[in-house]
Amino acid sequence: MPPPPAPPAARGAGTHTDNTLESGWVDQAVGRRTRPRSPVDRARGLLLLGLLGALLVALWLRLLAAEPHLPLTWQAAPGGGVELAASNDPALRHAIGWQLQALVPSDGRPVPARAVLPQRSTRWIVDDAERRQQDDLRSAIARAVHQPQVTLQFHNGQQVTVAPQPRGLAGLGAMCWLLSALALALYLAAAVVLLAEPGLPAVLYALLALSQCVNLLLIAAESLAGPGPVDALVRLDLPLRLLADAVAAAALVHVNLVYPHRPDPGIRWALVAWALALGGLAAALLWPVPGLWWWAQGLALVYGLAAALALRRTGGFGSPLAALLQRLVLAGTFTLGLLSLAVATASREGLAQHLVATVGSVVWYVFFAALLMLGPFLSRSRQVLREFAMLAGVATVASSLDLLFVALFALSPLASLVLSLAVSGVVYAVARPWILGQLAGSGALSAERMFDSLYRVARELEQAPEQAGRQLAGLLREVFDPLEVARTPRVVPRIQVAADGSTLVVPIPELPGPGPAAPTGAIVLRFARRGRRLFTLEDQRLAERMIEQLRRAVAYDRAVEHGRTEERTRIAQDLHDDIGARLLTLMYKAPNSEIEEYIRHTLQDLKTLTRGLAASNHRLSHAAAEWKADITQRLNATGCDLHWSFSADRDLTLTVVQWSGLTRVLRELVNNIITHAQATQVEIHAHFDRGRLTLTVSDDGRGREPQAWSHGLGLGGVRKRVKLLGGQVQWVEREQRGIRCEVTVGLSSERG
Amino acid sequence: MAVKVLILEDNPVARSFLCRVVRESFSDTIAITEAGDLETARAQISLAGGASGLHGVDPFKLIMVDLELPDGNGMELLAELGQYPATKIVTTLYSDDDHLFPALQCGADGYLLKEDRFEVLVEELQKIVRGQPPLSPAIARRLLTHFRHGGRADGSSQAPESGFTTPQEFATTSSPVPIGKVPDHERLTPRESEVLTYLSKGFTIKEIASLMGIKWFTVNDHIKSIYKKLNVSSRAEAAVLATKQGLV
Repeated sequence: MPPPPAPPAARGAGTHTDNTLESGWVDQAVGRRTRPRSPVDRARGLLLLGLLGALLVALWLRLLAAEPHLPLTWQAAPGGGVELAASNDPALRHAIGWQLQALVPSDGRPVPARAVLPQRSTRWIVDDAERRQQDDLRSAIARAVHQPQVTLQFHNGQQVTVAPQPRGLAGLGAMCWLLSALALALYLAAAVVLLAEPGLPAVLYALLALSQCVNLLLIAAESLAGPGPVDALVRLDLPLRLLADAVAAAALVHVNLVYPHRPDPGIRWALVAWALALGGLAAALLWPVPGLWWWAQGLALVYGLAAALALRRTGGFGSPLAALLQRLVLAGTFTLGLLSLAVATASREGLAQHLVATVGSVVWYVFFAALLMLGPFLSRSRQVLREFAMLAGVATVASSLDLLFVALFALSPLASLVLSLAVSGVVYAVARPWILGQLAGSGALSAERMFDSLYRVARELEQAPEQAGRQLAGLLREVFDPLEVARTPRVVPRIQVAADGSTLVVPIPELPGPGPAAPTGAIVLRFARRGRRLFTLEDQRLAERMIEQLRRAVAYDRAVEHGRTEERTRIAQDLHDDIGARLLTLMYKAPNSEIEEYIRHTLQDLKTLTRGLAASNHRLSHAAAEWKADITQRLNATGCDLHWSFSADRDLTLTVVQWSGLTRVLRELVNNIITHAQATQVEIHAHFDRGRLTLTVSDDGRGREPQAWSHGLGLGGVRKRVKLLGGQVQWVEREQRGIRCEVTVGLSSERG
Repeated sequence: MAVKVLILEDNPVARSFLCRVVRESFSDTIAITEAGDLETARAQISLAGGASGLHGVDPFKLIMVDLELPDGNGMELLAELGQYPATKIVTTLYSDDDHLFPALQCGADGYLLKEDRFEVLVEELQKIVRGQPPLSPAIARRLLTHFRHGGRADGSSQAPESGFTTPQEFATTSSPVPIGKVPDHERLTPRESEVLTYLSKGFTIKEIASLMGIKWFTVNDHIKSIYKKLNVSSRAEAAVLATKQGLV
């Protein structure tokens, strides 16, 4: 099948090479620096090619419009003859329904009317004799309509003379216009592919597409209403169609031999394919063989299977593209086989003039064109195009089945139609997931779980923006379940699907708010769903939406946190200002030093509390420095020496609760020493190791027998606070003099 | 002649307490002027020779300013008295660096925490007047950050810590003053940085002296010098800001 174009945005995106990644595929996905073609060049080329195509199609339509025809349509009559079906010539209007006997042009050589539809192309006529007959009839009619006047002889003896006239552009019919438009679209697809990634696969794809363009344009000519085939095409129609089919078949096999990229392109097989197709064509045209239609269909089917086989060589693991293309090729081949079977059966049963036989082949060509157009853009095609291709395929199946049912089971046309539609519906339901399974749907993750992951990542991101890359990679891995995930420092402007849908490149987003700058660069995912499906535009949009949600969640979390901090600060401010000032006044007015000291402690507690509220983070090392400075000052004021030591295996951020708890525990212990111990030396060791903080406060005071102490407000407070922090506290006598107090608290680094 | 002292404090109880502290701290005759709000304080200062203090016949020698006042923040007065030749002390209940650091930037020579015991306050006041201002670990940390960023304490500029800058970096700097060399007032000497680093880790002056192998009063001189640099750099910053805003 066709080669996909490289996404234009991926080309030339890399402005520098990075050597941090050894795997070349990341580079390949983010952008190689080969063939620096400017987009302007490409756009200009596309415009030129597009104009050329439009011109050709316009000329073709002009040619068709200028061709003379008889302003009437006829149809097969029940008795085996031909009757006039419709006409917009007033002279013929009363003759509608009459059986036609012959056409007599002004040169006098009558053309007998036969029960074949004269517009029909000879390509899809199974029987050789019938084909020759049809050919002759077409030439005769073509000759007739070029005469100034044609007389219609009817079985009832009546004669009507009409003048053939050109159709005019308006008389071409909607079918002709639509098919021409489809041909032009296919041509443009080929031009895009050719310009986006020039190379052998692109050329082969272009050949494939052009051959189908020819087929479509010929079908457009076939679809014209009224007798009057294009003179030049009467003899050329069959060779041209056969040529187009042969080129398409050979190119299809060849392109699937060289694409997707593989080490051994199988040149020999490609040559065999081309030689067989073109040789067979030449043989068929030069020395007409019996059963031409059978040969053509047989070869077409063989080529389809060969193309599928060529894809199988790389199918399976790691190449979802090849697997998908293979399915498309098989779908096309299967429908062609079904259609051939139906047409052959119908022909044997003498239903050759059946309308469905004609329509079926047309529908199949449309289906094939749709598949071709879809091929290069699998990872970026719109839903509509895919559905269109599916429907065209199913329509082929339906018409084939309709024909088969009528021919084989002699069903009535209506029953056959209903039955074939029902079966086609089932085929559609089965084929759709089979084909689209490798494209659409992100069923790897339920929506609920995705939201969970999203918000979990948002929360983690908010706390550690520097981990953005890792977190995001984890999230994308969960959502897309790719085979490989890698980081690249290269800056990519936006999310893009690269390397024919095997790769998705997601730039690491800048998240709102302050904090350490998140790393830049991109995450490159390869082979979605363990290599079983392609990345599509839907995936790109999903990733975009995910990142947008992530951004919002982080912003929201930040706003909430900001609001909480603001509120806490306000409460702290109020507490401090109002109650602090009152306590201060009270302290100055205290009747004795005991009460004064008590109020002072209260004031200090209040300050610790409010500061804890106002400031959001306290590092352990900073807190230790402050504890030391504070305790030193207070002990020095009472003539007591402090021996302080602090060690930590790592620093961590204390929660507000931890910070204020530890601060107050230490202060209380020191207060006790100052008030009761009459010590001269105080030793404090703070040691933080593997998540546990051990505080040892020893004095050389006169305290003894700590078990016997009354648990007043001070010691009770210490116990309470240590318990609140989930730690233990114990007082023991020292050997010589004094008391040693040991506080052990587990500090996890979780935030409060 | 009596030493003139201005005490600006809105709480009368606290004010009389501070008066007692001042009287206790000095053996000289003290003439205390009390003010309950900024307006009164400004009036008293202009009576004594105006905010510049240069033409003052008999300026205040010591000014104690509370931060939270009914008609404004004490820092406003400190900023106005930038050139006033008195020892200016902030008396406050706020001991955190968020409140004290700006006060020091405004030119305070030291700070007293009002909840401290009488004896502690007396000692601290004497020390400040003698030129031994306090410096808590938190404020030391703030100072380090402040000077690390070349006098711009917003922390956004990324000037190298060493003060050594390469020509390329000058080309890209957005500094308003085209400097070939970071001005002295925006840089700490290595010794001063060392002292600050020790202070920020909670070491006392005596400990720092023994750690650095210098006398304690040398440590103290470093601290005084840091105070001065902070004030000068803050004023320079304010001046630059004022120039930019077209105020000067």
